[in-house]
Parts: sequence; C-alpha cells; structure tokens
Amino acid sequence: MTNASSVLPEVSLGARRVVRPGRVLTTMGRVTRRGLEGIGALTRFTARTLEAVRDVRTWGPLATLHMRRVGVDSLPIGLFIAVFTGIVLSLLASYSFTGAVPLYFVGTLVEKTITMELAPVLTALVLAGRVGANIAAELGTMRVTEQIDALETLGYDPHAYLVVPRVLSGVVMFPVVVGAAMMLGVASGWIASIGLLDLSSADFVKGVRLFFSAFDIRYGLVKSASFGLMVTLIGSIRGLRASGGAEGVGRAATSAVVYSAVLILLLDAFWAITWLLGSER
Amino acid sequence: MKRSNDFLVGAIVLLVVLTLTGATLWVKQTDIGERRSKVVARFRDVGNARVGNAVVIRGVRAGTIEAIELARGGWVHVRMNLDRSMQLPSSPVVLLNESSLFGEWQATITPRSALPHDETVQAQVSESSGGGEVLPGAILPDIAKLTAVAGQIAGDVANVAGRVEVAFDERAARELRSSIRNFADLSTTLNHTVRTHAGDLDTLSRGLQSAVKSLNQTAASAAQIAGRVDSSSSSGEIRQIVDDMSHAAAELRRTSSQVRAMSEQMSATQSRLDAFLTNGDSVLVKLNSGQGSLGLLLNDPSLYHNSDSLLTQLRGLVTEVRTNPKKFVSVRIF
Repeated sequence: MTNASSVLPEVSLGARRVVRPGRVLTTMGRVTRRGLEGIGALTRFTARTLEAVRDVRTWGPLATLHMRRVGVDSLPIGLFIAVFTGIVLSLLASYSFTGAVPLYFVGTLVEKTITMELAPVLTALVLAGRVGANIAAELGTMRVTEQIDALETLGYDPHAYLVVPRVLSGVVMFPVVVGAAMMLGVASGWIASIGLLDLSSADFVKGVRLFFSAFDIRYGLVKSASFGLMVTLIGSIRGLRASGGAEGVGRAATSAVVYSAVLILLLDAFWAITWLLGSER
Repeated sequence: MKRSNDFLVGAIVLLVVLTLTGATLWVKQTDIGERRSKVVARFRDVGNARVGNAVVIRGVRAGTIEAIELARGGWVHVRMNLDRSMQLPSSPVVLLNESSLFGEWQATITPRSALPHDETVQAQVSESSGGGEVLPGAILPDIAKLTAVAGQIAGDVANVAGRVEVAFDERAARELRSSIRNFADLSTTLNHTVRTHAGDLDTLSRGLQSAVKSLNQTAASAAQIAGRVDSSSSSGEIRQIVDDMSHAAAELRRTSSQVRAMSEQMSATQSRLDAFLTNGDSVLVKLNSGQGSLGLLLNDPSLYHNSDSLLTQLRGLVTEVRTNPKKFVSVRIF
C-alpha cells in the first residue's frame, strides 16, 4: 500500500525544479540555430529552384498541368469566398456608416478592402490549405516511397521536375485567382448594396471611383504572387523533407499549411510596411 | 489532356486579365480613343486635388482630372478630360474646392461673372489670367483650414469665457440674479399695464364707436330735422309755431308781472316779520335780564321757592280738608 505522504514530496520536488540561467541561454541558442538553419535551408532550396528554372525542357511540359491544378481548379473555392466576402463587407460597411458618413462610401470601402487586402489574403489562406497541403503530401509521399531517389537515379533534377513547375504555377496562377476574386467580390458587394441596402448603383460606382487607383489592383496582385511563391515553396520544401512514412507525410502537410499561413500574414505585413507606409497614392 | 490543360489555363488567364483590365479602365474612366476634349488650367497651389477627381460644370459631372503637373513660373497645370458634348461657359474659370467633408475635391468650371465675392479668389484668378489657352484657376479654402480657423475662434471664445468666469464672481452672479428678478417683475408690471391699457383702449374704442354711432344717429336726426324744417317751412307750420311762441311769450310776461307783485307783497310781509322779531327779541332780552315783572318772575329763584312752599301748603290743606271737612265746612240748615 502506497503512502500518500511518500508521493507528495516527489511532486513538490518536481514543481520546485530550479531553472538555471545556463539552460535558458542554451535553449535560446538552440532556437536561434534552428531558425537560422531554417532560413538557410529555405535559401538553399530557393537557390536550387532558381537554378533549376533554366531546365525548361524538364518543367515546361508540366507547367500547364500544375497551373490547372493550382489555379483553375482553385477558382471555385476562391470565388465562393470572394462572393460572400463582398456581400458581408457591404453590409458591414452600411452598418458602420449610419450617421454622418454618406452611404456611397460603401463602394469605396468594398473596393479598397477587397482589392488590397481581403481577396489576396483570404484566397491565399484558402489556397495554402488546398495547394500547399496538396504539394507537401504529394512530394512527401514521393519522398517516403523513394520515388524521388529513383528520379535522381534516372538523372532528373527533382527541383526542375517537381518544384519549379509547382512554384511557377503558384506565382502565375495565384494572381489570376485573386484577380477573379477581386472582381467577383466587388461585384457581389455591388449587387448586395443595390439589393439589400438603400443604395443606388450610381452611388456605389461613385464610391468605387472616388478613391480608386490602379495601384490598388497592382498591390493586390503583387502580394498574391508573393503568397503563391511562398505557399508552393513551403509545400515543396516540407514535402521533400518528409520522412517516417505516412505519419511523416501527414506532418509535412500540416506543417506546410501552418507555415504557409504564418508566412502569408508576415508577408502581408511586410508589403504593407514597405509599400504603403509613408507613401501617398 | 495536355492540350486541354493548355487551353483551359490560357483561356482562364486571358479572361481574367482582360476582364480585370477592362474593369480597371472602366472604373478609372480612362479615355480610350481620345473621345474627350482636354482643358488645362493653371494654379499656384492645388491643395488636395488629385488625379481622378471630378470636373463639374454647373453642378453636373463633366469629366475628370487627368493630370496634375508642375509648370514654369511657379504654376501647377491641371489637365482635365471633358466630355466632347460639354460646352465651356463664357470666360471660364476653374475653381478647386472640396466637394464634401471627407476629403473629396473637385474642379468646378464656372464663368468669371459667377465667381464668389472673395478677395483672395479674385486675386488668384486675376494673377492666373492671361495664360493663353490655359484657363485661369483659383483654389477655395478647404474645410480643414476653415475648421482650423473655427478652432482658433473657439479657442478665443473659450479664452473670453474664462475671463468672464474670472470677472463673474458670486457677487456679480447675485446682482445679475437680482437684476433678472427685477426685470421679471418689471416685465410682469409692464405686461399688466399693457393688458390694462389694452382694456382701456378697448373701452375707449368702444366709447368712440358708440360716440360715432351717436354722432351718426345725431347726424341722421339733424338730417331728418332739416328735412322736417324743410317740409315745415314749405307747409307754413313755422308761422304757426312763431305765433304760438309769441302767445306763449305774452303769457309768460303776464305771469312774470304777477310773480313780481307777489314778490313785493312778500317783501312787505318780511319787513313786518322783521319788526315783530326785533320786538320779540327786545322782550326776550328784558326777560333774560330780569327786567319787569315777567323778568323777575322768570329769573328770581325765591319766587320759585315760595311757590313751591305754597303748593306744599296747599297740598297739606287739601289733605286736611279731605280728612276733616267739617273743620272747615259747616253746613247748617237751621
């Protein structure tokens, strides 16, 4: 029979574990090293991918296939999100603008928010789940089943054959999907304003034109291209580094989505700081 | 499969690019094919006017600002796109002003005669005139400046209010309160007076109305009398009245003479009465002074006492007689 008093001191001893300053420094150093290793791995990976871009004969035939998978097949989900974002945004704007602010500013807010922020970011987050996870799982499976080793044995450059067409399709097709989402988002906000709000079509268009600038579109498209690059790169790198069978593939897919989502938000902030801050449009 | 992928991707990319480009051009109202006329105006400063802001003629949107660029001589040239159907007003001037509280600016093309009566604007227009094909322009003060001035004024007012607060102590408040109360009393009194006088005025008015009515009636009566007089004079009744009047006058004269005679008789009677009263008065004086027998009788108290004593004695005698008549009366027949 175990005495309770004999158990309690052990617990309290465990809770009183002394944190040594040396261990904290060690942990900090380990985290820093791993971060730098990650950046270094990503840089090496990007450099190898750029190098592989020259091998057009390898990735060229595969480009449109991946463009279809990454872009065309992602259009429905991207447009679905854009439609509801536009509707909700116009209703929210009208809810906020009761009072002194004229209602035609609903058009301004919908246009600015959809084109500059929501269409690129929301579409990228959705595509990070759909495309990033897909790439990581596909490449991870190839890695754990040694298909990539076989490719190398056959003299194919895995980067040129597997990574470049995916990354290029991401860079090219993300802006296409986001561009379509921008138009459909604004259009759905327009229709919702006419149908659900006391706002005429002319007033909505007036609001859209009031502060519209071609920069808004450019900014959103460039951002979405960078998101496409990041999502496909992260998916590829996590997939190619997968190990440990099916479980490793699952981990690779999950981490690809998580890292992509985090990096999308970081990139979003980066573009806002570097491109919007202090500039007058 | 590969060809279908190529086609599908190409079609989608082309569709999205073309649609996005078209939408952008439509929203920006880009003039494709130069279907619009260009107008350039010059300003010293363009405030917050931006490319894409509306150009308005007589309140109607007629185009947009296409470009804003610096020019020689310290000028800023604003190039505007206008619909070809739009006709500029005579002697046009371009004003840059805020079109709302939310930072929207617009360029208003207006005739010089319709410029606001503002010295600054007039001076700007005069300065920017003479630029050939370039229209003169002026900038109206934006709401931010007006707000800043209003804020300054509000600060001054607050300052003055602070000073008033310093000067306006408790005593001043009491005096002011008293003054207000007095004023209220005065107002009440004035109100009462006005009401009273309003009543008087009503009464006076009513009296005046009544007087006027009476005057009207009198006038009507006078007119009636005049009519009667007219008719009387025409029918000989006046002669009859005059005859009656002379007869009455004769009667009155006769009565008057009778009254005069009566008055003379009355005068004689009065003289006799005066003499009687004078004599009576002398008699009474004598009586009062105790002269003569009657005077002595009235004024001598001994006589009263004697008489009283006599009466007492007489009363005793009568009593004695009643008691013992035989003592005093002796009847003997034989």
